[in-house]
Amino acid sequence: MDTIHVQKDEDFIEQLISAIDKNGYLSTWELFKMAYEAEKVTMTPNFSGLKALDFLPHIHFLDHQIRAAEQVIEQMNGRAILADEVGLGKTIEAGLILKEYMIRGLVQKVLILVPASLVNQWVRELNEKFYIPAVSQQKNYNWDYPVIVTSIDTAKRMPHREKILEKEYDFLLIDEAHKIKNHKTKNFEFVRSIRKKYCLLLTATPVQNQLVEIFNLISILKPGLLGNYQTFLEKFGMDRKKMKEDDYLKQLIQKVMIRNTRDETDLKPSKRHIHAIWVDFSEKEREIYQDIESLAKIFPTFVKLTLLREICSSREACYLSLKKLADEQGNSSPVLPIMEKLEQLPHHSKAEKAVELIKSIGEEKVIIFTEYRASQLYLQWFLKQHGITSVPFRGGFKRGKKDWMRQLFEHHAQVLIATEAGGEGINLQFCNHLINYDLPWNPMRLEQRIGRIHRYGQENDVHIYNFAIRHTIEEHILQLLYEKINLFEKVIGNLDAILAELNIQNVEKEIETIYAESESFGEAKIKLDNLSSVIQHTWEQYGKEEKYGHS
Amino acid sequence: MAIPDLHAFLRTFFTLHNCPIVRDESGLLSIQLTEEMDKALMNRPFYWHYMEKIGQTGTPMQLTLITNPEKRDEKGEWIHFGSPRLHQILNHLKEREKFIHLFEKVDVNTQTPLYPWLLANVKVSYIGRQKKDMLYSVGLQLINGSMRFSMMDYLDNIPLQKTIPDYCYTISPIIRLKSGFGRIEKVIYEQIAKEQHGWAVESLRTLKEEEEMIRHFYKDEEEQERMNKELEALRERYQPVIEIKIVNGGLIYLTK
Repeated sequence: MDTIHVQKDEDFIEQLISAIDKNGYLSTWELFKMAYEAEKVTMTPNFSGLKALDFLPHIHFLDHQIRAAEQVIEQMNGRAILADEVGLGKTIEAGLILKEYMIRGLVQKVLILVPASLVNQWVRELNEKFYIPAVSQQKNYNWDYPVIVTSIDTAKRMPHREKILEKEYDFLLIDEAHKIKNHKTKNFEFVRSIRKKYCLLLTATPVQNQLVEIFNLISILKPGLLGNYQTFLEKFGMDRKKMKEDDYLKQLIQKVMIRNTRDETDLKPSKRHIHAIWVDFSEKEREIYQDIESLAKIFPTFVKLTLLREICSSREACYLSLKKLADEQGNSSPVLPIMEKLEQLPHHSKAEKAVELIKSIGEEKVIIFTEYRASQLYLQWFLKQHGITSVPFRGGFKRGKKDWMRQLFEHHAQVLIATEAGGEGINLQFCNHLINYDLPWNPMRLEQRIGRIHRYGQENDVHIYNFAIRHTIEEHILQLLYEKINLFEKVIGNLDAILAELNIQNVEKEIETIYAESESFGEAKIKLDNLSSVIQHTWEQYGKEEKYGHS
Repeated sequence: MAIPDLHAFLRTFFTLHNCPIVRDESGLLSIQLTEEMDKALMNRPFYWHYMEKIGQTGTPMQLTLITNPEKRDEKGEWIHFGSPRLHQILNHLKEREKFIHLFEKVDVNTQTPLYPWLLANVKVSYIGRQKKDMLYSVGLQLINGSMRFSMMDYLDNIPLQKTIPDYCYTISPIIRLKSGFGRIEKVIYEQIAKEQHGWAVESLRTLKEEEEMIRHFYKDEEEQERMNKELEALRERYQPVIEIKIVNGGLIYLTK
């Protein structure tokens, strides 16, 4: 007992005496009793168990989420990496943990660092779901609110930096924590300097490339758990695979990391239905497509590829690029006749197909993704002609505008036409139809697109419609790349890690190179097929390695 | 633990604060707030500030609370154990209703003595790796020094009022309030000593383990400052503490 500090209540008796002697406020028996009752119902009678569950009767928690929260609080003492696969509700787990600490009176000051695009969403979820009065900190200088959500980029800048570093936080949370895994960056230094009691790091990919990344993340939580930097490198090196092979290391990591995978949870994800929507060019459109193909000799491959992709999307997208070329080349430009032909086109076959599809879906919400802003504008106009309401969405919108568009979409418009998934942008689980009007050549972007609607919280089956025009470059990409690696069927996972392992920095460039270096489309097709095989193979291997982390 | 009958609890709360109940049906409670309650619960200080500035009396709001989740769709505010509104009310109670000075209500026509009791409701929190609270309600008779546990339950069967009943007189305490409080504290300490303190041992062990880990991690001289910060955070998290807080209490005169 000697080593336990005891804090007494020094004021009570003095205050009581003065209240009686000096006619201070004295309670009635009924109110006094109610206050006693209030204390009784809000106290925590046990060391273990989650009291927060009583406070959140409206949230349906999944078993793995409750287990994760209990583990973090009871075994990991409030410092942990939450590394569930995407879509299993890391945010929910984090909210539950924070709520529990706040109820137990162990946490008052909270700092939550998330990507800028997610700030509002975090604020909304904490307030609406968890009744945690979080505010977002953007430009003003007040860092005194109890629960603040902001981006690392804002937080690390002057004068915020100083204000944050001089405080002591009871709870620090970092979302998308893999972004700070590099110990040489300023972000990492900054985060490590923040004084905190409890700390959660959220990431779906705790180790992307090198084993040392996990060392760095753990240095924020529990420095020394894996030894110091030097001994760690000597013992384990940089090899990511060590994590699965070395039992000792695995055990240590399990002390601070929880990783639930979809297979192990009782979460029955809503199904994904993939529909390939084949469109045929009209004769006039095909003629233009072929004209562009035969431009090959004059322009570099990538210019030709861009034009081909654009004509598959809309007249407008293609026209803008052609116009740029024509302006550079003057009157004799070989693209002028193509432009004339484009002007003659009455509409685009794909857009008609889109209208037909949306009408067949009925009243339900639909998201259309396109690669081109010109197509986005055209589609908005075209849908309006057919009595379909839509709102635009771009990655470049300011935060407030994004939120506003999301709300308009949720409550007023049937269709959202987006040019970019916007990284970790907004969640649109209330919608379950997605049209890939044209396909990006970067599978990561495709994953992000689908991830907007197919994630934790989606209650309906998700329908994904992939548009492709027959006998064009789109056919190759859809059939040889995406359908082959089963990207659409697979639940969002570790594609970025796999690409990193294969040393593919940029899939788009890779595909361009294939076309540029191939003599014929036939040859390109074979090479594309090979690329897909390699990705698919690595993906399967990776899946087998996944079983690490506490779960 | 939740409030067994939230609806009744709220009705009592507002009635005791002189707020007329406008509508009271199963699962739904509409209250006309008083100015005082509006200020305490409705979070609109600027409105009241403004009204005072221009010398007008403000209009307190009406509040409709839905106590049955099945009626959530009706116009009003769903109030439940987790909702901020309820915690506002609970905190209001905890902050305000701290002290009492009451007398047993007796109907007598002969001179009757009333004996002084000191009541203290004490919350003891054990804070280590985790946290646990315990609540004690202790009464001390200030003449003969006899002590009673579960005092609140005992008082539940005794009618109490704010003024001294006719024909009754109070006996002045022999034990002064302050020293009486000291006795209660002593008994609480004894209770604490009787508890198992595995939680503290465990917490100290974790503290030591992690301290060693950190010392091993920071070998460089230049990182001393950071290491000390980390060590401080560790102690903050694991150093076992017992916190004694008096929830509320007071002086009560009883017939025995």
